[in-house]
Amino acid sequence: MTEAPVALLAELTYRCPLRCAYCSNPTNWRDYGDELDTDGWTRVLREAGELGVLHVHFSGGEPLLRDDLEALVRAARDAGLYTNLITSAWHLTHERLSALADAGLDHVQVSLQDSDAGRADRIAGTTVHAHKLEAARWVKPLGMALSVNAVLHQQNLPFVGEIIALAESLGAQRLELANTQWHGSALVHRDALLPDRETLASARSIALAERQRLRGKMDVIWVIPDWYEDSPKPCMDGWGRRSMTVIPDGTVLPCPGAHGLPGMVWDSVRSRPLGDIWRGGEDFQRYRGTDWMSPTCASCDRRELDFGGCRCQAFALTGDAARTDPACARSPDHHLVTSLRRERPVAAAEPDVALYRIDIRRGRRAS
Amino acid sequence: MSDDARRPVLARRARLRWDAPRSRHVVVVPEGVLALTEEGAEITALLDGQRSLRAVIDAVAGAHPEAPRGLVEADVREFVERLVERGYVTLETP
Ligand code: SF4
Ligand code: SF4
Repeated sequence: MTEAPVALLAELTYRCPLRCAYCSNPTNWRDYGDELDTDGWTRVLREAGELGVLHVHFSGGEPLLRDDLEALVRAARDAGLYTNLITSAWHLTHERLSALADAGLDHVQVSLQDSDAGRADRIAGTTVHAHKLEAARWVKPLGMALSVNAVLHQQNLPFVGEIIALAESLGAQRLELANTQWHGSALVHRDALLPDRETLASARSIALAERQRLRGKMDVIWVIPDWYEDSPKPCMDGWGRRSMTVIPDGTVLPCPGAHGLPGMVWDSVRSRPLGDIWRGGEDFQRYRGTDWMSPTCASCDRRELDFGGCRCQAFALTGDAARTDPACARSPDHHLVTSLRRERPVAAAEPDVALYRIDIRRGRRAS
Repeated sequence: MSDDARRPVLARRARLRWDAPRSRHVVVVPEGVLALTEEGAEITALLDGQRSLRAVIDAVAGAHPEAPRGLVEADVREFVERLVERGYVTLETP
C-alpha cells in the first residue's frame, strides 16, 4: 500500500518581482500563467488534509502576489495543516503580515541573497534587501516562527559567516544554507554561480563551526552542494514517497523540478482528485520504490537510503531519467559530474553576475 | 523559585495533533514532526501554560496509579526538558 504523504509544496504562482540568478523555477514560467483560483486551491488543501498531509509550504514565485493568500492560509488551517510561507518579503507590509498571522499562519521563511545590501540586491535583480530585514523582524512579535533561507553560490559563499550572523541578529530559529541546485535559471547562470572546491570547503567549515556555537538557539542547516559529494542527495526522500508538489496551473508532481522530464503525462487537480493522483497517477508510480532502478542501484545497499538520487539530474546529465544519478560515485556516468567541478578559484567565476542575467522574468536581457 | 512551579507551555510554532494515516500523535514543527509515544502525547496535552510542572507530574502519576511515582516523575522531567532544549516548550514563570 502507498504511504500517505506528509508534505504539500503549493507553488501558488511562478510570478515574482525578483530575478534571482539562481532561481530553480522553470525558465518557461510564463507557460504556467493559467493559475488555479481560490476555490481550486481550497479544494487542493482540503484533499491534502484528508490524504494525511501535515505541512503545507506556500511557495512560488512569490506567493504574496496572490491576493487570496490569507484565504488560502485559512483554508489550510481548516484542513488541519501546519502552514509555512516561503517568501522574499517583497513589499510585505506589517498590516498584511498581521492579517496572515490572524488567518493562522504558523511559520514564515524569508530568503536572504547575501549579508550586504549591494551584493544581495545585485543577485536579486532589484532593491529588496533592507526591506527584508525589516519584515523579518515583524514575524516573531506576531507570534509566528521565523526561518531564514540563503541560497549559496560562488558569489556569496565567501560571506557565509556574515550571513549566519545576520540571521542570528534577526532572531531566526532556523537557517537553511542551501547550496544552489542546478535547474532552471541557475543552470543558465552556471558560469557565474558554480563554486570552486576551496571556496566551498572553507564556507562549509565555517557553517559547521557556527552550527555548534548556535546549538539550541538557531538550527543551522547546511544543504550539501550538488556535484561535490560522491553520494547523491535522497531527492525528495524518494519519488512519490513523502511529499507532492502542486504547481500554479494545478499540475501535480512528485518534485518541483519534474516538469522538465520528457514523456510524462502529468495529472492535474482540475480533472482528478489529489488522493487519486497520489495513489494511482502513472507518473507517481513510475519511479516510486525500487522496481524501476538500474542494475547499479537495484543491487546497491544504499537504495533505500537515497532512492537512487535525483531523476531530474539523471535526465539533465545523461538524457535518461531512470539511470543512476551521476552525482553518485558508483554511477557509470560519474565522470559527467566530476568534469564539471571547479577545483580552484577561476577567473570565469568572478564577473558580476548581472552581466550574465538573462531577465527571464520579463523576457529581455538585463543590464 | 523552584523549577517545579514553572508552567511548561507548548510553543505556538509547535502543534500537537493526531496523525490518522500513521496512527500516532505528533508535534508538528516548522520543517518536520516529532513522533510521540502514547505517553508522550498524554504529557504534551498537559503543557498548556496553566499547569505547573509539578501539576503535570501529579496528573500523569494520577492517571497511572500502577506506575511507581519516581519513574513517572523522571520520565516527565526528561520529556519536558528535551522539548525545552529544542525550543518547542517554554517554561513560564507564574
Ligand atoms: S528530482 Fe531533482 S529537481 Fe526534483 S527535487 Fe529532486 S533533486 Fe530536485
Ligand atoms: S548506486 Fe544508486 S542506490 Fe547506490 S548509492 Fe548510488 S545512487 Fe544510491
